[in-house]
Amino acid sequence: MTPSYAPVAATGTFALTAWVILLPLAGAAILLIGGRRTNRWGHLLGCAAAIGSFVLGAVLFFALLAKPGAQRSYDQHVYTWIPVPGFTADVGFHLDQLSIVFVLLITGVGSLIHIYSVAYMEHDENRRKFFCYLNLFLAAMLVLVLADNYLLLYAGWEGVGLASYLLIGFWQHKPSAAVAAKKAFIVNRVGDVGLSIAVMLMYTTFGSFAFGPVLNGASSAKVGTMTAIGLLLLLGACGKSAQFPLQSWLLDAMEGPTPVSALIHAATMVTAGVYLIVRSNAIFDVSPNARLVVTIIGAITLMFGAIIGCAKDDIKKALAGSTMSQIGYMILAAGLGPIGYVFAIMHLITHGFFKAGLFLGAGSVMHGMNDDVNMRHYGALRKFMPWTYVTFGLGYLAIIGVPPFSGYWSKDKIIEAAFAQGGTSGWILGCAALLGALVTAFYMTRVVLMTFFGQKRWVPDAEGHEPHPHESPWIMVVPMVVLAVGSVAAGFLFSYHNAFVNWLSPVTGFSEGHSPINTAVLQVVTLVVVALGIGYAYLGYGLQQAPSTPPLGSFATRAARQDLYGDAFNELVFMRGGQYLTRVLVYFDMKGVDGVVNGVSAGLGGSSGRLRKLQSGFVRSYALSMFGGATLLIVALLLVRG
Amino acid sequence: MSILAASSTTATFVAPHVEFGKLSPMLIAFGTATLGILVEAFAPRKQRYGIQVGLALVGIAASFAAVLALAGTTASVVAQGSVAVDGTTLFLQGTILVISFVAFLVIAERKTDQNQDAFAAQGASVPGSAAERETTRRGWQTTEVYPLLMFSVGGMLLFPAANDLLTMFVALEALSLPLYLVCGLARHRRLLSQEAALKYFLLGAFSSAFFLYGAAMLYGYAGSVNLAVIAQHVAHPTAGSTLLYTGVALLGMGLLFKVGAAPFHMWTPDVYQGAPTPVTGFMAAATKIAAFGALVRVLDVGLGVNSAENVWRPVMQAVAIITMIVGGVLALTQRDIKRMLAYSAILNAGYLLIGVTSTTAQARAAVLFYLPVYGVAIIGAFAVVTLVRDAGGEATDLSRWAGLGRRAPIPAALLAVFLLAFAGIPFTSIFIGKFAIFQAALAAGSPDLVIVAVLASALAAFFYLRVVVVMFFSDPLPQGPTIAHPSIAVKTALAVAAFATVALGVAPSLLLHLANNSAGILAK
Amino acid sequence: MHAVYPLVLGALLFAIGLYGVLARRNAIAVLMAIELLLNAVTLNLVSFSAILRDRYGMGQIFTLFIITIAAAETGLGLAIVLLVYRQRATADLGEQRALAEPVEPVTADELSPRNVEAEVAR
Repeated sequence: MTPSYAPVAATGTFALTAWVILLPLAGAAILLIGGRRTNRWGHLLGCAAAIGSFVLGAVLFFALLAKPGAQRSYDQHVYTWIPVPGFTADVGFHLDQLSIVFVLLITGVGSLIHIYSVAYMEHDENRRKFFCYLNLFLAAMLVLVLADNYLLLYAGWEGVGLASYLLIGFWQHKPSAAVAAKKAFIVNRVGDVGLSIAVMLMYTTFGSFAFGPVLNGASSAKVGTMTAIGLLLLLGACGKSAQFPLQSWLLDAMEGPTPVSALIHAATMVTAGVYLIVRSNAIFDVSPNARLVVTIIGAITLMFGAIIGCAKDDIKKALAGSTMSQIGYMILAAGLGPIGYVFAIMHLITHGFFKAGLFLGAGSVMHGMNDDVNMRHYGALRKFMPWTYVTFGLGYLAIIGVPPFSGYWSKDKIIEAAFAQGGTSGWILGCAALLGALVTAFYMTRVVLMTFFGQKRWVPDAEGHEPHPHESPWIMVVPMVVLAVGSVAAGFLFSYHNAFVNWLSPVTGFSEGHSPINTAVLQVVTLVVVALGIGYAYLGYGLQQAPSTPPLGSFATRAARQDLYGDAFNELVFMRGGQYLTRVLVYFDMKGVDGVVNGVSAGLGGSSGRLRKLQSGFVRSYALSMFGGATLLIVALLLVRG
Repeated sequence: MSILAASSTTATFVAPHVEFGKLSPMLIAFGTATLGILVEAFAPRKQRYGIQVGLALVGIAASFAAVLALAGTTASVVAQGSVAVDGTTLFLQGTILVISFVAFLVIAERKTDQNQDAFAAQGASVPGSAAERETTRRGWQTTEVYPLLMFSVGGMLLFPAANDLLTMFVALEALSLPLYLVCGLARHRRLLSQEAALKYFLLGAFSSAFFLYGAAMLYGYAGSVNLAVIAQHVAHPTAGSTLLYTGVALLGMGLLFKVGAAPFHMWTPDVYQGAPTPVTGFMAAATKIAAFGALVRVLDVGLGVNSAENVWRPVMQAVAIITMIVGGVLALTQRDIKRMLAYSAILNAGYLLIGVTSTTAQARAAVLFYLPVYGVAIIGAFAVVTLVRDAGGEATDLSRWAGLGRRAPIPAALLAVFLLAFAGIPFTSIFIGKFAIFQAALAAGSPDLVIVAVLASALAAFFYLRVVVVMFFSDPLPQGPTIAHPSIAVKTALAVAAFATVALGVAPSLLLHLANNSAGILAK
Repeated sequence: MHAVYPLVLGALLFAIGLYGVLARRNAIAVLMAIELLLNAVTLNLVSFSAILRDRYGMGQIFTLFIITIAAAETGLGLAIVLLVYRQRATADLGEQRALAEPVEPVTADELSPRNVEAEVAR
C-alpha cells in the first residue's frame, strides 16, 4: 500500500526550509566571488554555513517531531521557473520525514567534515577553494533531497555531480586525480542520461514534474511505462551510487582529498541513488519487475564491492570497496519494496556515521604517515594514534555488525527482509546478503589488523622522510569522536520501540516481512558468519605478519586487486566493443553519415559562401535587393489575398 | 478645398487636447536633447563632456521615472489619437530606457582608450589632417553625440507608441537621423565608420521612402492614417484591397528594414561593423526593441482583423524563415566578431518575427520578454568587444581573440555568458525567451516555424560556441590584443548585464509576469 | 481631370527615383533620387487628400511633415557625403566597399571545430 503524497503549504517554522539550502549556497557564492580576499577566513565561513544549515535542519526536525505523523509533509513553493502556458517548471521544496532525515545526515556529517577539513587542508594553499566546493556540494545535495519535483531534483543531481568532479580533481597537479575526476564525470553521465530520460518520460506520462502528480498517479498509470521509468531511475541510481555495472569510478574517486571521500563518496552523494528509489517508491510499488532488477543489482554489487575490499592494500580503496558493498545492501533493501524501504534508509544513516568515521580515521592515519595509503606500510599504529584507533575500531565494530553497534541493527534487518522476500529469490538474496556479511567481516578485520596491529612495516616516503606517526590535532579528533558515538548508538536508538520505522513509514509505507527462517535463528547465524569472517582474517593477518610487498596471491585475489576486472571489463566490452562498433560505424559513417554531415556542412558553408557574395559592399545592390524584397512582399500579399 | 470647407463650418479654433502627463516620458527625452544642444552652445568646451553625460543620464532616469509613474494607469490613446499609451508601450519604453542607460554608460566610457571616448575629436576634420591633429591635441570631443543620441532615444520611445502613420514616420526619422550621423563619428577606422554612415543613411532614406509610399497608399485606402481607422476599414471594406495590401507591403518593408529582417538586412553587418562599437550595441539593442514595438502595433492594431491576419501572416512567416536562414547561415563563416554579432542580430530578428506572426497575447508576451533579455545580452556583448584593443582600435578579428580566457578571464567569462545565452543554454534568459516564443508559436499552430527555428538555433550554437572555444581552449597569441580596464561605470553595467542574463534565466517569472500583464493591454 | 492621373504621375516619379537610386553611382545623384521618391509620395498624399475630400486634410499635413523632414534628411545626407568625399576625393558609391564580406572565402572545412585552432594559429 503506497502512502499518498499530500503536502500542505509550508508556513511558520517550515518556511525556513529554503534557508537550509541558501546558507551553504551563499557560502559558496561568497567564497567564489570573494576570491583571494577571503583566504584568511574562508574556511571559517564555510564551516559556519554548514553548521548554520545543520542548526536550521535540527529546528525543522523538532518542528516536524511536534506534529502528528500524518501532518509531517510540507511543501514550500519558492517560485515558478518557467511559467509559460502549457508548461510549468517550479522551484519548490518538500519537507517530510524522509527529506529531513537526509537533511540532518548531510548537514550533520557535512559540518563535522567541514570542521575536520580545517586542519586536514591547513597546508593546502587552495583551502578556501576547497571549502567553496564543499559548500557548493552541500547546497546541491540539499536541493537534491529537498526538491519537490523531479526536474529540480535533477538539477541537484547534476550539481552534486559537478561538485564531486571538482573535488575529486581538487589536486589537479596529480594526473591520476584529473583522470579520476573525468572518469567519475563520464561514468556518471551514463547514469544521468537514464535519469533525464526518466524525468522526460514522467512529464509525457503525467504532464508534470512534481512529486504530487507523479507519485499519486503512478498506481493508475500503465505498468509497462512505470517499469521503464523505474529501470531508468535505477540506471541513474547506478551511476551516482556506484552500483554494478557503473561502479568503476568510485575506486578512482579516492584520488580526492580524504574528507571528500568521507562526505561525498561514503556518507552522502553516493547514497543519492537510494534516496531516488525510496522517494519514487510509488513507481516501484507498481512494478515488481523493476523491483526485482533493483534487488539483483544490489545483491551483485554488495558481493562485488566486498570482494574488491578484500584485496586492496590502499586503505581508502578498501574502504571504497566497502562503501560500494554497503550501498549494495541499501539498494537491495530498497528493491524489496515496503518491507525494505525503511531499512534501506536506516542502513544509509548508520552507514553515514560509521563509514564517514572510518574515512576520517583513514585520513588521520594518512596524516600521520606522510600521506601513504598503502596498508602494507602501516602496522602497530594503535600505540601512536590512540584516538584514531579507538574511533576507527568502533566504526569497524559497527560496520561488521557486532551487536549492539549501529550496523548490527540495520544490516540484520536487511538480511531478514531479504529472506522475507520469499520464494527462491528470497533465499538467493538472503544468502547473498549473509555471504556479504561474512566477507565484510573479513576485509574490515584485515584493514584493522594491518593498520593498527602487528609490527611496524613503515617505509620512508619518496623524499626519504621516515614517517613519524602522531595523533592528529583535536580539531580532527573531535569529528571522529562524534561520528564514533553515532556508530555506537544510532542503531539502537533507531530500533528502540521501532522509532525509525514509525517515523518513516508514513512516507515510504511499511509492511512487516515474514522470514521463512526464525528471526532469532537468523540472528545467530548472522553472528556466527561474522565471527567466521573475523576469525579467518585473524588467521591470515593477525597471527602472521602481512608482507610489505604484496604476494602474488591466488587468481581471486589478483582479480579483486584489479577491481574484479571492472576496468578490464569496461575496456573489453565498452571500449573494445565500442571500438569495433566504431569501426563498423566509421565505415558507414564515411559512406553515409559522414557524407550527409559533410554534405550538410559543405552545403551550409557553400550556401554561406554564395550568400556572402550578395553582401558585396555595393550599397546600390543592397538597395536593389531591398526593392526586390518589397516587390516580393507586394506580390506575395496580393497572391495570398487571392 | 476640403480644409476651407472645414474651417468655414467651425467658427473658432479649438485647441486640441494634449495629455502631457501621458506623453511625459517622450517629452522628457526630447527636452533633455534640446537642453543638450543649449549646453553645446553655451557651456565651455572643457565642461561639456561632464554636463552632457550627466544631463543625458538624468534625462533617461527621469523619463524612466515617468514611465514607472504611468505604469498601471488605464490604457488610452492620447494626443488626438496619435499616441497610444498602454501596457505594451510602457513596457517597451521602460525597456528602451534601461537599455539606453546602460548604453550611455558604455558610450561615455573614456578610460578604455587613453582618456578619449569612441568618437572622433571633430567629426568634420579629415583623418590624418593638421586640423585633426590639432583638435586631438587640444582634447576636443564630439560631445554633440549625447544630445543627438537623446533625440534618438526620444524617437525610440515614440516609435512603439505611435498610433498613426504620421507620428510613426516622425518617430522613425527622429530615431534614425541622429544614428546615421553618430555612426560616422568613430575615432578609429574613420574610413569604415564614414562608409557605414553613408550606407546606413542612403539605405535608411530609401526604406523611409518606401514606408511613406506605403503610408500614402493606406491613407488612400482608409482616408486616414490612424491605425484604428485603418483597422475599421479593413474589417468593413468599402473598396478593393489592392491598395491596402500594396501599402502594407511597402510600409512593412520600411519596418522590416529597421528590425533587420531578410531580405532587408544587408545594411546590418556593414553598419554594425563600421559604427563605433558602443553605438553598435545601442543600435542593436534599442533600435530593435523600438522597431519591433512599431511592427507589433501596425500588425496587431492596424491589421489585427482576422481577414487581414490571414493574408499577412503567411507572408510574414516566410520572412521569418528567410531571416533565420540568412542570419544563421551567414554567421557561420564570419571572422569579425562585430559582423558575427550582426548576423546573430538578424537571426534573433527571425525568432522575434515568429512571435510577432503568432498574434496571440501569449506570443506578444513572449516577444515582450525576449526583447529586453536580448537587448541586455547584446549590449553587454558589444561592451566586451570595446575592451579588446589593438593599436588601431578594437581587435575585432576572431583570430586575435585566441586564448583571451587565460589572459583576461573576467571579460572573456562575461562574453561567454552572453554568448551561451545567445546559444540558448538553459538557465540563461534567452533560453527562456526562446522557449516562450516557441511555445507560443506551437500553441498558435505553427510547428513548421518552430522546427526551422530550432534548427537555426542548433546552427547558431556552433558559431557562438566557436568564439567560446577560441577564447578558452586556444593558446594565447604572443602579441595578442591588450585588454582595457574600463571605468567602474562600465564594469557595473557589464556586471548588471551578465547578472540579469543569468538571473532572468534562473528566475524569469517576474519579468514574464510583467510581460504577460503588459501584453494583454493594447489600446485601440 | 481624372483623379487617377496624379496618382499615376506619382507612381512614375517614384519609378524614376527608384531608377536613380539603383542606377546612379554618384552619391549626390542618389540623394537627389531619394528626394524624387519623397516628392512622389507627397504628390500621392495631396492627390489622395483631394480625392477623398479629407475634412482634416491629413494628406496635406503629412506632406508638410515630409517636406520638413526631407530637408533635414538631405542636410544630413549631404554632410555625410561631404565627409566621405573629403576623405576619399570621390563620391562614387561603387568605391565604398571597405565594408563587405571579406574577399577570401571561408571554406566549409574551416567550419569544423578542429580547424578553429588551426585558423587561430594562422
